[in-house]
Amino acid sequence: MTRKRGINWFRLNRELHRDIGYFCIGLTLVFAISGIALNHVNDWNSNYIVERIERDIVFKNKLPDEEINQQLMTLFSIDEPIKATYWESPKVYKVFFNAGGTLSVNFLHQQAIFEHVRPRIVFKQFNRLHLNEAKNGWIIFSDIYAGFLIFLSLSALFMVKGKYSPWRFKRGWLVILGGLVPAVYIFL
Amino acid sequence: MRKILMVLFIMLSITSWVEAKELTFGEAVDVKDTIKISTLLASPSDYVDKQVTVAGTIVGVCQKRGCWMNLASDAKFEKLRIKVRDGDMVFPMSAKGRQALATGVVKEIKLDVEQTRRYKTSLAKRLGEEIDAKAITSGMSLYQISPTGVAILD
Repeated sequence: MTRKRGINWFRLNRELHRDIGYFCIGLTLVFAISGIALNHVNDWNSNYIVERIERDIVFKNKLPDEEINQQLMTLFSIDEPIKATYWESPKVYKVFFNAGGTLSVNFLHQQAIFEHVRPRIVFKQFNRLHLNEAKNGWIIFSDIYAGFLIFLSLSALFMVKGKYSPWRFKRGWLVILGGLVPAVYIFL
Repeated sequence: MRKILMVLFIMLSITSWVEAKELTFGEAVDVKDTIKISTLLASPSDYVDKQVTVAGTIVGVCQKRGCWMNLASDAKFEKLRIKVRDGDMVFPMSAKGRQALATGVVKEIKLDVEQTRRYKTSLAKRLGEEIDAKAITSGMSLYQISPTGVAILD
């Protein structure tokens, strides 16, 4: 008489945890790296590299706009088409260039600042995914990823038997601590 | 390691492809109801909580979160802020100088006297002007658009 072998749930859980874990490595790195960057958005712009060049000017705001533009382009050695101009106030003038540069002129302080913005390639893309700017299909994919993370956290509870099991205090205190930290922030 | 690099490469390729030259956010803009920004700012209280569409050159963008952008008015020295909740739409800094259309609801932000003093002092400082903050004795209102759809043209 042969004995019918059932599913080895312990082994299946470990294998699923391993394979889903491998799958989640890439996305976890994306979310973790952009998470740190976005947490410190007030200290460091992780989306753009902003380069500024400051120069003193000698001409006045009484000049026609075309002449002001010409003087500015000569001062900053800019050789690219102007996209738009804007008078923010009688003393503050802005010039926008096709390649993404902006000139801000303050006639009160007789000062001009050329600002050029370049996207940070990797960080900007990571942040874009993290903040779900792509929408649509990305929502489905990130929902699946979130489901996998839930599985990874719950399956971790059944990965190890014996004295290092999370169900015993020797290692179980780590599970309790992981739940207590957010609880403290929520309720205190 | 090769797997990780491959996954990252695929994701970067997808997100680069998603970013088109003409950018749109949210729902489609309602071009037929476009009003001049100067008209709106001449009597903003008439438009509070009403849906409008405005058009203008982008003259400022939130550097940190891309959560607002300023559109230049057709009249000199005026601009109107298009403001979203963080993450709802993310306006790129590189859009400065481009034309944009925004459809949304006009919102009024009432400032008390203290807030008005701080706002006007900060504004004056930025524009290189001097004001006597103590002379301000009443609050003011700011007006901005909470958009449902934005199109940044090429």
